[in-house]
Amino acid sequence: MAEYKMFEGCTIGNRIPFIEASSRKVLDKIGVQTSQAPFTCCPDPTGMKSFDNMAWLTMGARNICLAESEGKPIISLCNGCTNTLRGVQHQLKHDSLKKEKVNTELAKIGKEFKGSIDVVHFVDVLKDNLDKVKGAITKQMSNLKVACHPGCHYMRPVEWMESDDPMRPKNLKEIVAATGANVVDYDELALCCGNAVAGPYPEHGDAILKQKMDSIKKAGADVIVVNCPACFQRFDTAQRDISKKFDTEYNVPVLYLTELIALAMGISSEDIGMKNHRVRRNTAIENL
Amino acid sequence: MSLPLGIDFEFRKVIMDVHIGSDKIKYCYQCSRCTDSCPVAAVANPFYENIFDPRLIVLGTLLGYKDIVMSLVSEKGSIVPWGCTVCDTCDTVCPQAIEVTEIITLAKNVATGAGLAPDSIVAQAQAVFDSAKAIPSQPAIERRRVQLGLPAVAAPDVNEVQTLLKNIGVDKKL
Repeated sequence: MAEYKMFEGCTIGNRIPFIEASSRKVLDKIGVQTSQAPFTCCPDPTGMKSFDNMAWLTMGARNICLAESEGKPIISLCNGCTNTLRGVQHQLKHDSLKKEKVNTELAKIGKEFKGSIDVVHFVDVLKDNLDKVKGAITKQMSNLKVACHPGCHYMRPVEWMESDDPMRPKNLKEIVAATGANVVDYDELALCCGNAVAGPYPEHGDAILKQKMDSIKKAGADVIVVNCPACFQRFDTAQRDISKKFDTEYNVPVLYLTELIALAMGISSEDIGMKNHRVRRNTAIENL
Repeated sequence: MSLPLGIDFEFRKVIMDVHIGSDKIKYCYQCSRCTDSCPVAAVANPFYENIFDPRLIVLGTLLGYKDIVMSLVSEKGSIVPWGCTVCDTCDTVCPQAIEVTEIITLAKNVATGAGLAPDSIVAQAQAVFDSAKAIPSQPAIERRRVQLGLPAVAAPDVNEVQTLLKNIGVDKKL
């Protein structure tokens, strides 16, 4: 199998590195090799792109150049980073004017975007290696009821993500089911966590999260499983606030997909730093 | 308030050019699926304060009504365009495959150029300019990485990124 360049991203690398710990352990177990590169911020498809689209395109293209110089594909642990890198690649491949403009800027620092490497989300790598994932599982998670939240940027816009059904995503459910856990369906599966609007408009963000959490609660989930660090932080930190604000007990613990798989592979919660979660583990997780 | 109804053809051209290889925004027939599926529009104040309506943004830009669009954008961090949570649902449901989020992104870029971006957006751009990362490396997290057995994050070339961003003019908007 090809070696990937690891794109851990700013949030995971510099804020919640325990997610990188479980991810690296799971990738190791299924024989996926990675190496590092001095990547910059992807940059953020909800932040830097809104600030300056040309800067977003050019910095994204520069990151792809770093992997291209080694001829290796990129594996990303984050929806936002995958979305940016795939989006930049898509736009530059289909718009020669944009590509020319970007390459004019890159030429000034001695680089050129070619579009010769692939950018993949870790969920897609796990899905392609599902037999190996299943083979490494030693502990069935059959006592756990899981609400899956793949997050917007894993599958939308469909033209450049090409990963899953954009409104009825199923990949995450399939992988979670492979651990033996029970996936519970809920109405608001494809709804955004509200992270990007919560900065400038917290009230709108809270109202969206409430809608999402009400739906998850109704489905009787013990835990939410996510594959995006922005969504992870949103669920892990804002649940307490909306519990107070709307006078409802939410407090559903959040697991990164790789944390769930690591636990199912018999890796201890101490080894992957799960004590750093904000929402306290409930009995369903304690009993795993 | 009198509505300035001037059509700005240059603005129209910029909007048309947002789309990859086509000006498909002109095929918008105002069906409103974008607004109907927008999670932010759904939780907007029912008394029409802080309303966020992607269909209206598409209409205003499609017709080249720059003044109307910009009057909505005229305050720092105003709900148009900053209410957009970039979930890309509107793009997905649009029967004409219009990239609505790209249009709203352009509006955000224009607002940023006029100094009207929300503080959180400017702060992130500043961090990216200063450290090449949206979240700079911190000693406490570096120690936690060691405890978790993780390698240090490979340090990016900040000078090169600053050269790149200065050439594009990002520093002037900070």
